[in-house]
Amino acid sequence: MFYQTSLRSFTLILFALGSIYAAFTAEYFGLEILTEILILAMVVLALDLVAGFGGMVSLCHGALAGVGAYSFAVLGTKFGLDPFISMLIAALVTGVISWIIGAVCSKTHGIYFIMATLAFGQMAYSFVFESSYLGGDNGMAGISRLDMSALGIDLFDARQFALLCLAVLIIAYLFSWRILTSGLGRSLVGLMHNEKRSRALGQNIVQIKAHVFALSGLILGIAGALSAQHIMFISPNLLAWTHSGEALVIVILGGLGTLIGPIIGAAAFVLLKHEISNYTDHWHLVVGAILIIVVMSGARGIYGEIENRLAQKRRKSLVASDVELNKDR
Amino acid sequence: MLEVSNLSKRFGALEVTKNVSMHLEKGERRVILGPNGAGKTTFFNQLVGEIIPDSGSIKVDGQEVIGWSVEKRARFGLSRSYQQNTLFDGLTIGESLGLAASVSTSKSMWFWKDALQENDVRAIVKDTAAQVDLDRYLNARVSDVSYGVRRQLEVGLALATQPRVLLMDEPTSGVGPEMIGAFHKLLGRLSRELTILIIEHDMDLAFDVADSMTVLNYGEVVFEGSPEEARESEMLQQIYLGTWEDA
Amino acid sequence: MDLGFWILQLLNALQLSMLLFLLSVGLTVIFGLMHFVNLAHGALYAFGAYVAASVASAMGYWAGVLVAPFAVAVLGLVLYQFLIKRMRSSGPMAQVLVTFGLIFALLDITRIVWGDLALALDVPELLSGRIAIGSVEYPVYRFFVMAVGLTALVVLHLTLTKTQIGAMIRAGVDNDKMAACLGINVERLFFIVFCVGCALAGVAGAVAAPLLSVVPEMGLDILIPTLIVIVIGGLGSLKGAIAGSLIYGFVQTFGAVFAPQLASVMIYVLLAGVLVTRPSGLFPAKGG
Repeated sequence: MFYQTSLRSFTLILFALGSIYAAFTAEYFGLEILTEILILAMVVLALDLVAGFGGMVSLCHGALAGVGAYSFAVLGTKFGLDPFISMLIAALVTGVISWIIGAVCSKTHGIYFIMATLAFGQMAYSFVFESSYLGGDNGMAGISRLDMSALGIDLFDARQFALLCLAVLIIAYLFSWRILTSGLGRSLVGLMHNEKRSRALGQNIVQIKAHVFALSGLILGIAGALSAQHIMFISPNLLAWTHSGEALVIVILGGLGTLIGPIIGAAAFVLLKHEISNYTDHWHLVVGAILIIVVMSGARGIYGEIENRLAQKRRKSLVASDVELNKDR
Repeated sequence: MLEVSNLSKRFGALEVTKNVSMHLEKGERRVILGPNGAGKTTFFNQLVGEIIPDSGSIKVDGQEVIGWSVEKRARFGLSRSYQQNTLFDGLTIGESLGLAASVSTSKSMWFWKDALQENDVRAIVKDTAAQVDLDRYLNARVSDVSYGVRRQLEVGLALATQPRVLLMDEPTSGVGPEMIGAFHKLLGRLSRELTILIIEHDMDLAFDVADSMTVLNYGEVVFEGSPEEARESEMLQQIYLGTWEDA
Repeated sequence: MDLGFWILQLLNALQLSMLLFLLSVGLTVIFGLMHFVNLAHGALYAFGAYVAASVASAMGYWAGVLVAPFAVAVLGLVLYQFLIKRMRSSGPMAQVLVTFGLIFALLDITRIVWGDLALALDVPELLSGRIAIGSVEYPVYRFFVMAVGLTALVVLHLTLTKTQIGAMIRAGVDNDKMAACLGINVERLFFIVFCVGCALAGVAGAVAAPLLSVVPEMGLDILIPTLIVIVIGGLGSLKGAIAGSLIYGFVQTFGAVFAPQLASVMIYVLLAGVLVTRPSGLFPAKGG
């Protein structure tokens, strides 16, 4: 079951402070990396929600974020809607599509579930790639950012845009926290542990999975819209399955099922990628090797390992004090 | 309360349930006996909806439940405990009971509030834990406790859904003699609002708790009556112990 | 559109199907037998193409095509001993992740060894030229690809149905624990099947090289089609592999003719449909 522990809160605050510090000290390129991390963090947060707490390992989360990006872009450039409204509608559209995917795939498990989501993600990718309305291979340009000038905020300034992304990420985290500690979230974790028993207790499995996938989709829609605003250009490549693969890798590297872990993982992954790219063209090899080692060693990810070690220490000391108490009986 | 009429099921050439009928009054404690392979668990699976029968009807409190999904029947009040522990291994006992209780209080789909913290859910968890003697273990992880305690939880989960009809599949399977005594007490504590159907192999327990008994053999009902009648029945002795001709 | 056009499409569809068959049959039997999903299978195919191209530039096409499967089988051997064997009992997510990492690693290793530019492998003298079928002239080499696929199908079918090892493989796919109880060395069987599967991927790569450009990404490009083939066709069976390959080949080829915009989406719709209604595919090795 998910509980927001003090360690998790501490880590989140640390991350936020670190991001704010980076936002104010970094140059343009640093700000670009920061924004990349923050948007990616939203995507992996949404993935951990369904994978780490629902056992639904999705390989279409990248594509769904792409759906959000394209929805936002279309509403803005083709329908001339206000960016704020476009973002909300994009989130809704992504949420609905996510609900459908969650419902349709709810009866599949294990590798079949992974492949089913891969199929849906590829469907979206192919559709966008072939669509001349959506710009096909050339993508879509001319995307505008939110207008918050009424609040005195200029989002075309890289620093302010990065801070906006941080704010949205925090909101997304709080949203996920709320979902996981709600009746629905508890039911989700239950069915991850034993779907058969959950059903026997009266739980509607399809609805639980679909609803949570949809809520995850809302986050993805926002992340996609922000991604579109960030570069002000989108292309079908956003929906390539390798991005969903990378999202899964990041969740594992950060810590599956910890909610804050993947966020840390996103920072580590992006920073690592840029660092390695400074020295060699072959960062794929490094990441691949790290991933293989991490998974084969059974490690729980950067944050996951820390949390686990601390929990074990606490259990040991509890047992030790138990032994102490019983000694005099 | 539970009305089963002419239930039949075959798998290919094998008839696992042959025209089984059963009538249970509200509050009745019916024990189902029968040698291994008689089709008792398969019968239960059809009652809860995990297997679809070929023909027949199942009515709970007058409501026909054939065609209903497993979860719909569970929500309606037909609950079942398994012969093999089917538990939430990664959770604590309290959380597990809480999940069951959250369904019965219709809070399992709440999006905003924590069902496990709700007063009515916690009350049910507390009461159920008391009934199945799990008070001390609420914060323990399911994976950490002994087999016997897990068996208690197995029944506890079914009870926490506040059912009208409770099906228990060999609740004492694999537990030691002291635990059987505990189960006997547990069954005695259960309300007479609850109708109970138990598959049991332990004869002492069966004869002690049963108001009535049904014996299945090769998928069909071969005996139905009171425990005294069962004790006298020569046919039952033959089924269980065999005759010289079979030896 | 005359008869010639349709014959051309038919031949194209068959050729694509046969190529996919060579790739998918190894992957499906590996999954069916070992319950191991190897996403890096595409990377093995790419490796085969590279080895074939390299060897061929020094010693000619035929040398390339013969060496490639061996090279890939050796690579498979190494991967099996150090990685696959340990991951066999892990859950699907762990397998997906490890093989995904492998894709990344092999991608860059390919780049390091052979560089980023496309390699070329020329069609050999013997197989160049065209054959006339009615009004259509079709490249001999593409017939060769079909022949290789067909030969593989026949050889594998005979092996699986007529030989002892084939029977053992089928038993292992059906119930590996029971097969082990019967005294079958399931571990060694897995190893052999894995290496053969890799060799087939190598053959596919070598044979495909003259038709496509040999680039590092070719493994990634072919992976999704291969996965689609085995999932639609059904995991673990030869019948499934050929069925899935034919379905994919024909839907893609004729789909592009009738509804070019929808062609690529259609195959995914088909895949999603199969996954949801019959998760084990059309002709799985067991159950269904």
